[in-house]
Amino acid sequence: MSRKPQSTDRNIFSFLRNNTVPLMFIIICAVCIPISGFSPAYLLNEIVTRLGRNAFLILSLLIPIMAGMGLNFGMTLGAMAGEIALIFVSDWQIWGIPGVILAMIVSVPFSVLLGLICGKLLNMAKGREMITSYIISFFINGVYQLIVLYMMGSLIPIAHGSIKLPRGYGIRNTVSLLNMRQCIDNLLAVRIGGVKIPALTLLIIAFMCLVIVWFRRTKLGQDMRAVGQDMQVARDAGINVERTRIISIVISTVLAGFGMILYLQNIGNLSTYSAHSQVGMFCIAALLVGGASVDRASIGNVFLGATLFHLMFIVAPQAGAKITGDSMIGEYFRVFVSYGVITLALIMYEMKKRRQKASIGEQLALAQREEEKHE
Amino acid sequence: MNKKRAWIFRGCTLLVILIIAGVMFLVGRGHTVYIDNRTLEYNGESYDALQKVEVWVGGERLSKLGKRERTMSTVIGQSFEMKLINTVNKGDEPTEETVRISLPYGWDGIVVNVPGYLAGLPQEAWMTEFISEPEPVTEEEEEPGIGEDEIPMGDI
Repeated sequence: MSRKPQSTDRNIFSFLRNNTVPLMFIIICAVCIPISGFSPAYLLNEIVTRLGRNAFLILSLLIPIMAGMGLNFGMTLGAMAGEIALIFVSDWQIWGIPGVILAMIVSVPFSVLLGLICGKLLNMAKGREMITSYIISFFINGVYQLIVLYMMGSLIPIAHGSIKLPRGYGIRNTVSLLNMRQCIDNLLAVRIGGVKIPALTLLIIAFMCLVIVWFRRTKLGQDMRAVGQDMQVARDAGINVERTRIISIVISTVLAGFGMILYLQNIGNLSTYSAHSQVGMFCIAALLVGGASVDRASIGNVFLGATLFHLMFIVAPQAGAKITGDSMIGEYFRVFVSYGVITLALIMYEMKKRRQKASIGEQLALAQREEEKHE
Repeated sequence: MNKKRAWIFRGCTLLVILIIAGVMFLVGRGHTVYIDNRTLEYNGESYDALQKVEVWVGGERLSKLGKRERTMSTVIGQSFEMKLINTVNKGDEPTEETVRISLPYGWDGIVVNVPGYLAGLPQEAWMTEFISEPEPVTEEEEEPGIGEDEIPMGDI
């Protein structure tokens, strides 16, 4: 009789332990929303806009997690590929939706190349994929800066003075994307109670979710899951582990490129040297806020995370300003929370892994003792 | 056989993507069209600016131009259509004219002179390329990346 309440307690404890980060964010948002004084319509409008802007980027993180490669900090590489494509498309003066589609097509070869490099390097650093991909993103950022700052306009033809630096080569700090600004968001957009819903963008995101669900059921998707669970077992089953891991990173990089283009068409301008620098960090933080972990993430985590994380982004500066009289406190708050969430999620993942190892060890010891007793 | 089929499929996919890219390249070319109501000198003859020109693009009134005035419109693709409601001299009855222009692919900015167009002059007389003056150099633009925060705090 007393077992039932005990099991309920254990379930509640396990639920709390598994969902610490989302619960923490729900509490933060619940406290900050009334203090910020924003109207529900304003908050809804902002969240829908930001969901449309960021969800595709966050979705690009799911496939490497499926393949057991953890959180792909290397998605920044895809973002850089998307930016290079946008610079070319801006220079060719291709505007509107054709511009976005062309940028996506142009980004693919860059993303594939960068994904291949990243995948190959990550295969050399098995078990340390996250830190390696993080450092690779810094390395490729250096190459990107070299190309954009010195090669574009000198070796790589760039015609337009509005994009080029006045010295004749290199790209300006900001490239205007005004002629493709929100072209996808505004097409088929509907207004419900003062809230603008970018229907086409959300349809693209929904389509991407369906593709991910379908992909999980394909042979390659199954292979990735097998590799993610146990590389040795997958190899014994005849799966080419290295190739599967590379493909997962290439797909993630290509999707990140598309996501970055969607993100920048919403913003309407490209900060050439810094737009990509924080994208990986913020997307990973958003995914973790949604309850994902290093080895497990779902589409639900993407949407819950994007909603909670961006809700915090919207209300924290205003709440900070109301409480302390200084909006910078709120700004700092949201930055340290972003980094803090990643740290917390990584620590919790390690703790969970150790707990699992200890439990397996205990079970083995128990089985051994049982065996010895029988003998 | 299977491998051959896979390669054919890949080739076809690549071809389709390249065709889509080509189509986007053509249909997505953006232009800025400047519509001028200025007196035009051509072959020693003068074509006077109109008293008043109302410019309509895509069903919306873009501008009402007086003498020596200019308006602009952006267009995606190589064809541009506008409706002009012209008053040649003060007190005249306004006349309406729909103008369809084929835009040169290579020109970003295109100046269309209304008096020249209405006078039936050849295209090179009333259509010219708009070349903007280079922007003044600022120190900030010369040194990208310098002075950025160590930890960027930008919104996303």
